[in-house]
Amino acid sequence: MRGPSIATLVVFVVLVLVLILLPGGCKQQIQANFLQFVSPILKTGSSVQQGLGGMSGGLKKLDELEKENRQLRQENEQLRTTNNLLKTLETEVNRLNKALGFRERSPFRLIPARVIARDNASWWNTCSIDRGSEDGLAVDMAVVTEAGLVGKVATVAKNISSVVLVSDESLRVSVSIEGTNEQGIISGTRASSNFAPDLRIRFLTKTAEIKPGMQVTTSGTGGVFPSGVIVGTVKQFTVKELEGVAFVQPAVDLNKVQDVFVISGIK
Amino acid sequence: MIRFFLVLILSIFLSFIFQLYIPPMIFLKGAAILFVPALLFYGSLAFPFPLVLVLVFVTGLWNDLLTIPRSSGHSDYVIGTSIIIYLIPALIIHGFRPLFIRKGWAVHLVLAELAAILTPFCLLAQYAILSFERSDFFFSDVIVWRILGPGLIAMVTTPFVFLFLSSLSHLVGFRPRAEVMKLT
Repeated sequence: MRGPSIATLVVFVVLVLVLILLPGGCKQQIQANFLQFVSPILKTGSSVQQGLGGMSGGLKKLDELEKENRQLRQENEQLRTTNNLLKTLETEVNRLNKALGFRERSPFRLIPARVIARDNASWWNTCSIDRGSEDGLAVDMAVVTEAGLVGKVATVAKNISSVVLVSDESLRVSVSIEGTNEQGIISGTRASSNFAPDLRIRFLTKTAEIKPGMQVTTSGTGGVFPSGVIVGTVKQFTVKELEGVAFVQPAVDLNKVQDVFVISGIK
Repeated sequence: MIRFFLVLILSIFLSFIFQLYIPPMIFLKGAAILFVPALLFYGSLAFPFPLVLVLVFVTGLWNDLLTIPRSSGHSDYVIGTSIIIYLIPALIIHGFRPLFIRKGWAVHLVLAELAAILTPFCLLAQYAILSFERSDFFFSDVIVWRILGPGLIAMVTTPFVFLFLSSLSHLVGFRPRAEVMKLT
């Protein structure tokens, strides 16, 4: 091994050790700065993705139209483009109206945010949203939609934050089951992902009368999540050696969720 | 050499971002398409040892900064761990560098497949560390697919990544062979 190689190896080992031994707060700051650095790229990526989605939808309809009336294709194309645009706008307006309605009805102070990236490549289920400390977000704030719980804020940069999703194994939420006195802790598993979430409530009593379809809501214990937020519905209840375990279908489609709200307090 | 090194660093960074927008393979139980290991392993073959260390450091650090959630300042996977995880396969691949700089495309193809086979190692190591930290070895067929699946996908994609990077290196005037001859 030559001199430069040994020197680089020494520097490498020192840097890795320093990085690993850095205090948690310092690492979180580095992570937030990095997130802030990549935020323009993530926002651009999100816009491009949405644009491509809209374009492919438009092309499908053009094909259908072509089959229906070949002779009037040119004229129809123009009409169809306008129609598509209006349809997209209508969907957008409906979605935003729904979100706005939820925001007004909700007893919580809500900060609206948009999902700009989803991590599909690892053992962690996270996403990035386009709001940060400048918008009043802080670590551990609950993230919801009108359908139910999405997760909680993990890292906050100036105008971007990462959210750890309810399907992640590291996120544990205290929940109660509708129609029973049962309370337990819900979390995902390592096999859980956004498109196939595997949520389980543990620490339930073995004799609990839990049936499929029962609603699961946050119990408010722990202080991070307010009580009464819908998490999902029970799919199955099984009794293990020491505890009862309920398998839960999340209320929110974590793979498709676009608009979310961060709970910043109570109104 | 430095020009291609910078291009590769940029490619790794952009691949990290790009990977966020690629949906997982549902027919492979959610296996992810990973380009970053292929880029890193190509760099491990093309560059001398000091630059491989820099590549590994940057790749591992970016991986952890982008993917690991830290709830309330705590994480069961320490930022920087991926540097060590990436280091092991990168050094194994780097051992084949003499072969890479002397032989033709057939050897490159074999090395690309070797790189693809080493891809699941990174995921397996991450899974093992997480399981150890959480004191729970949860195992299912989904876990197996999420470890092996990216390797299978990489067996298809890595030769193309290698081909692309090889053309790119020629484009920026970097030829590992010429550089080694100059050194010796």
